[in-house]
Amino acid sequence: MRKKRIGLLLAILAIGVIFLGCAQQQQPAQTPTPTPTQAPTVTPTATPTPSEVPDKVLIGATLSLSGKYSKEGQMSLWGIKAAIKWVNEVHGGVDIGGKKVKIDFKYYDDESKKETVQSLLERLITSDKAEFLLAPYSSGLTLAGAPIADKYGVLYMSHGGASDRIFEQGYTYVVQTLSVASEYQTPFLDMVKALDPNAKKVALIYEDSEFSKAVFAGARKHAEELGFEVVIDKTYPPNPTDLTPLLSEVKAAEPDVILGGGHFADGQLLVSQMADLKLDAKGISILVAPALPAFYEALGTKAEGICGPGQWEIGVTYSPETAKELGIDYFGPTQDEFLALFKEFAGSDKSPSYHAAEAAAAILAYAKAMEEAKSLDVDTVRAKMNELHFMTFFGEWKIDPETGKQIGHKMVIFQWQGGEKKIVWPPAAANAEPYYPIPTWDEKAGGKLAK
Amino acid sequence: MAFFEQLAGNLIYGAVLGSVYGLSTMGLSLIFGVLRIVNVGHGPFIMIGAFTAFWMFALAGIPPLVSISVALVIGLALGFVIFYAVIRRLLNAPELATLLATFAIGIFLEELAKFFWGPDHRGYSWNVGDINLGVTIMPYSKIYALISSIIIAYLLYMWFQKTKLGAAVRAVVEDSEGAMTCGIDVGRIYALSFAIGIGLTVASGVLVTLFVPVGINPYMGHEYTLKAFVIAVLGGLASPWGAFYAGFIFGLIENGSYTLLGLIPGVEPFSLTRFVAFSILLIILLIKPTGLLGGGSK
Repeated sequence: MRKKRIGLLLAILAIGVIFLGCAQQQQPAQTPTPTPTQAPTVTPTATPTPSEVPDKVLIGATLSLSGKYSKEGQMSLWGIKAAIKWVNEVHGGVDIGGKKVKIDFKYYDDESKKETVQSLLERLITSDKAEFLLAPYSSGLTLAGAPIADKYGVLYMSHGGASDRIFEQGYTYVVQTLSVASEYQTPFLDMVKALDPNAKKVALIYEDSEFSKAVFAGARKHAEELGFEVVIDKTYPPNPTDLTPLLSEVKAAEPDVILGGGHFADGQLLVSQMADLKLDAKGISILVAPALPAFYEALGTKAEGICGPGQWEIGVTYSPETAKELGIDYFGPTQDEFLALFKEFAGSDKSPSYHAAEAAAAILAYAKAMEEAKSLDVDTVRAKMNELHFMTFFGEWKIDPETGKQIGHKMVIFQWQGGEKKIVWPPAAANAEPYYPIPTWDEKAGGKLAK
Repeated sequence: MAFFEQLAGNLIYGAVLGSVYGLSTMGLSLIFGVLRIVNVGHGPFIMIGAFTAFWMFALAGIPPLVSISVALVIGLALGFVIFYAVIRRLLNAPELATLLATFAIGIFLEELAKFFWGPDHRGYSWNVGDINLGVTIMPYSKIYALISSIIIAYLLYMWFQKTKLGAAVRAVVEDSEGAMTCGIDVGRIYALSFAIGIGLTVASGVLVTLFVPVGINPYMGHEYTLKAFVIAVLGGLASPWGAFYAGFIFGLIENGSYTLLGLIPGVEPFSLTRFVAFSILLIILLIKPTGLLGGGSK
């Protein structure tokens, strides 16, 4: 008995040491750069005089720095830091009626888990007193946190939650910076329609999750409007290890184009197993996965010709000039300035993915809305957001006043061509011609590239 | 006709996947059988094997088939280190202590992998051609995975049956005190069995990448942990051979049920395949609580 007790004690000790090791490793992530002095966020009155405006405004966030969205979470963090540096140092701070207010940022690692998001948001709101929050990455996590933010009446900006359903719950304080999910795959269908009027059969295969279901409901509706025939419309469970049964069924249906995906791992798996089964199509568009360089690194030439929708890509043409043409304001760094700021935090070898850009745009949207509202009061800022229409390097920003849904921003379609990711649609934003039909798997195995 | 073709194709893929499942579960069953320890941190060892295959290929161009033996050696070494550092002290501890310890080791390995290799989903392309089986097309790499797992399982079986050490392990499983009185160093057998269990698991990680050469990331083990437990129970928790056969059966059910479920109108087959696989598990356990190859109830 005694021996057992000693054994148990030792075990707990060992586990303690191991966890401590892990905790120490994560610590820098959990305690953000500026700490002790940041807490006193003043709740401003509706119409503040400059003397009543505090020196700092706190923006809080939960970020997925570990768990299954750790990659996207890390990108978001770098983007946010770059945007805050621009606002605080280049712009001089948020201009509230003449007084420059600096942004303070506090974040916690939500481990990509819904329960953690909820408890961390409570902590940010009640103990850190943050009134402006950034939602976590992914629709599922964003949706999990939304009721908490809305309950406390603090602003909750989605920069990685695209599902339409988030904005159909009647929340007042939930607003969005990126395009909604239902518009993700529609430009690809437009592109196919324009390039190949004879393409008829469309297959939709996607993850059974909040985000992808919203994307493909939108895609299905649009495909039918354009006169396509949807021959397969099937889902697969999250984290699949083998998709061959589903893909053999798709192969038997002989679709002209295939649209699919969900998150990163399953998107990679889809393409890998399409190649195994030689499931050829004239065009393939996969959600999320093709956006990251790791997609091409892992798949090599199999990735050639694969398209994907993007909220943003390096090379898109949003600039102060294009904003001027549209007659709207431009706010924030230019694309080149953003890239330079991003590399200061991420390292010179890293390039921002759209996750970084949309998170940065969310910070810029907060800053712009506060400036326009001339206030740090949550309700005043929220009301002003309804009237805002401006552009950042990420694209246009305008929300639907009813729901908080983003309606200004537009998606782009990119394609892997000769190892490079090119923007191919819409023509106004494109820096390359779309390659269609894409090479077959046999041709790709023989070394043929999509250019 | 198309229906039977698809069913046949899915069953073939299911068998190949099942062999990988089977081998990846043998280590779990072996460790439980000999040490009576449930290795909850099973999946992360598969991840270590997958990364071994990836790095060997990416850095030195070494084909994954060669990596299997390298992974086996890495796994054996890792197994000995973990045994003498942690497990040996917990042999007589309550079950909760060993559960927590193995769980912690799993998390430790994942975070270590993330620290060194980052959270990226990696993959490699080992193009060795494919074969048209009529009903489906299969890359040779997957066939190699099938053959390798059968060979490894067979070698392990022979080692158990034909060598002195193997006999010693069997003796310890039967009755550790009796084995001790016969002069068998039980502690050493525990260490060896644990190391072989981990070695097999890490080696199976290489085979996992032969089946799916993408999505190699620090957290990839979770899916396999869950399946390994189901397969281990199906095969009679303490029997490595049972686990191997059960892996085949699980793969066949998982993939085969897809085509059959597709016949039901209005049903999303994929959302039900896991349901079917787990239902069959429940039924088997109700009829034969010791698992398929678990022998008589004790």
